[in-house]
Amino acid sequence: MPRVFNWQINREMEYPYPASPPERQFAAVFDINKCIACQTCTLACKQAWTSGRGQEHMFWNNVETKPYGSYPLAWDVRLLEMLGPQTWEGDTYTGKTIFEAAPPGQVALGFLPEDVDWAHPGLGEDEVYGVVEGGAYFGIPHQVWFFYLQRICNHCTYPACLAACPRKAIYKRKEDGIVLIDQTRCRGYRECERACPYKKIFYNGVTRISEKCIACFPRVEQGLQPFCTVNCIGRIRINGWIHTPDKADPENPVDFLVHIRKVALPLYPQFGLQVNIYYIPPIHVPTKFLRQMFGPRVDKAIETYRKAPEDPELKGVLMLMGATERWVDKFRVQGDYVYGYDERGNELVRVPLKEPIYLRPVYDRQFTVYRHNIT
Amino acid sequence: MRWLTLAAIAALAVFLAGQRVVLAQQPTEIVSVLRPGPLPVTDPFDPAWDEAPAVDVPLGPQAMTIPSLLKLSVPTVRVRSLNNGDQIALLLEWADDTRDDLTVADQQFRDAAAIQFPVGQELPNICMGAAGQLVNIWHWKADWQRDIDQGFQELVNQYPNFFKDFYPGGVTGTPPFTYPTDFDRPEARQFQVGWAVGNPFSVPQRPSPVEDLKAIGFGSLTHKDRQEVGGRGVWRDGRWRVIFTRKLAAPDSESADLRRDQVPVAFAVWNGANQEVGARKQLSGFYTLRIQGQERILGLPRNLVGWLAAGFIGVLAVVVVTLRFLRRRAAAGI
Repeated sequence: MPRVFNWQINREMEYPYPASPPERQFAAVFDINKCIACQTCTLACKQAWTSGRGQEHMFWNNVETKPYGSYPLAWDVRLLEMLGPQTWEGDTYTGKTIFEAAPPGQVALGFLPEDVDWAHPGLGEDEVYGVVEGGAYFGIPHQVWFFYLQRICNHCTYPACLAACPRKAIYKRKEDGIVLIDQTRCRGYRECERACPYKKIFYNGVTRISEKCIACFPRVEQGLQPFCTVNCIGRIRINGWIHTPDKADPENPVDFLVHIRKVALPLYPQFGLQVNIYYIPPIHVPTKFLRQMFGPRVDKAIETYRKAPEDPELKGVLMLMGATERWVDKFRVQGDYVYGYDERGNELVRVPLKEPIYLRPVYDRQFTVYRHNIT
Repeated sequence: MRWLTLAAIAALAVFLAGQRVVLAQQPTEIVSVLRPGPLPVTDPFDPAWDEAPAVDVPLGPQAMTIPSLLKLSVPTVRVRSLNNGDQIALLLEWADDTRDDLTVADQQFRDAAAIQFPVGQELPNICMGAAGQLVNIWHWKADWQRDIDQGFQELVNQYPNFFKDFYPGGVTGTPPFTYPTDFDRPEARQFQVGWAVGNPFSVPQRPSPVEDLKAIGFGSLTHKDRQEVGGRGVWRDGRWRVIFTRKLAAPDSESADLRRDQVPVAFAVWNGANQEVGARKQLSGFYTLRIQGQERILGLPRNLVGWLAAGFIGVLAVVVVTLRFLRRRAAAGI
């Protein structure tokens, strides 16, 4: 089996195909700290792509509550348990990836969910509340925290779905690294669904073939960010073309968050897919839990993120999130503003680093009304 | 790496040589009995099938490529064949405790069976064919059979209480809607992507339960432009009986021409309850299908030899009559 380099686990690993990087790679950063799980992203996606017969259970984008929420049911803990202990030495993963742990007759370790596993996308939502006055009634491992995890297809550099399809019906686009299922070649074998560790492949029981997140490629081709990004009312998302760490561009917002400030981390890097969706981890969650999800760089990422108010550039990129529906290729912070530019260097947007505050009297004499506080 | 490749090729050669030896030791011939008149192509339990000798073909788990089948679930398939000089039919019969003919839920996989013929004269030494060694595959699917017998199967067939109050874009009818009739307008199909692009699994109209396919190696299986194979499968008392039928003559260059007295043929069976699909299957080695009525004389088809002989006699008669006529005119001194 060919060996490829996966920078997220800082070592070479086995993969069924030799490395074939696209000309540029679709990527995104989601700031978990800003998400309120309103599911506007979920519905924007659903309305755009999965309103058909047979797509009822499909959420190419979903937001689940951690630690107890999961969609499909227990997608993460089931695989983590199958994979066994996952060990790191520094930034290097010393355990097995899902390709290295593949059982006989399969390309990757995995399981096939059943229909009932897709039946409760909101299971565990908002569970684990704060300890009430006088202490908790019973003791559980996670006492006072939960957070929301926003999930779409990771458009992986080394996709397990693509590797598992015996018909090569799944392909990674050369021009943008978006991973798609060819709807004319798919025969509904569900090998991809079994192999995808993030369970972002959906079998359609009416068309009897499988479907997945298409990264809103018709929008990306027009220089627009996907629907889930631009509809986010919390402005937690930003898309960009990501580079490998050695070619990181400090003016590229996604490169800046992932490679320069290193505040955005891959989800379950130990699976070995070199994912392209990155998360700014929640700052209030025990890092022991987060290290399992986002790898050994979590503590440093949170430390850097907490200092964002004193870091104009980091603050600038965070302010650019959700500020335009256009695809931001470069950014620059000048004075009190952050500027976003397209690939030709045209200014797309400018955002103040600090939102201005206007104080007005409660009673408006001109219109004879009382005002409410708004932000 | 090169040594590894060479070793793999050597191992494969040894494996294939072994296969040939094993195949040579067991009955490897299936006779397609010539039976003039209509063939019993709609009823797999028609007594006419008893006129064809049954051959029990042993199956083995597919382990040449990944994904593979680790545990055999159908050890043999019983094969019979009849033909009437124009059309051929094969009957495959195997034991299966469960009838798996719905593929609506994630965990549902169909029962299925397939017959493979090489298209050219050369016998492909690997299943699914190889570059330059096209194979023609007839693939019967239990869910396609149910679509034909009971109408296109979808959500309500798996979830009887399914209800949905709204679909966007041109869907007609009232909730919970009828599929596929309420989704017949092109704009209503914008979310039924497989149907919109004509994927044969998704298109609700089913002309046949048997898909006519071609392949040139692992992963290359492709739906043919022309679909010429018919058939019917019935599950009764823990056994599937499935008929495959087509004209002996190849309808196109991608199909096996069966106007030959000996044709290599291989079989595969899938057990849906064991989540078998695609390469997860059990299959046979190549057998010889001996087709009665297609015997050759001096290497030519029997009926072609007959026509040639008739033509030769006709030409000879014309020549003889002409010569006599000329000779008579010469004798008369004209």
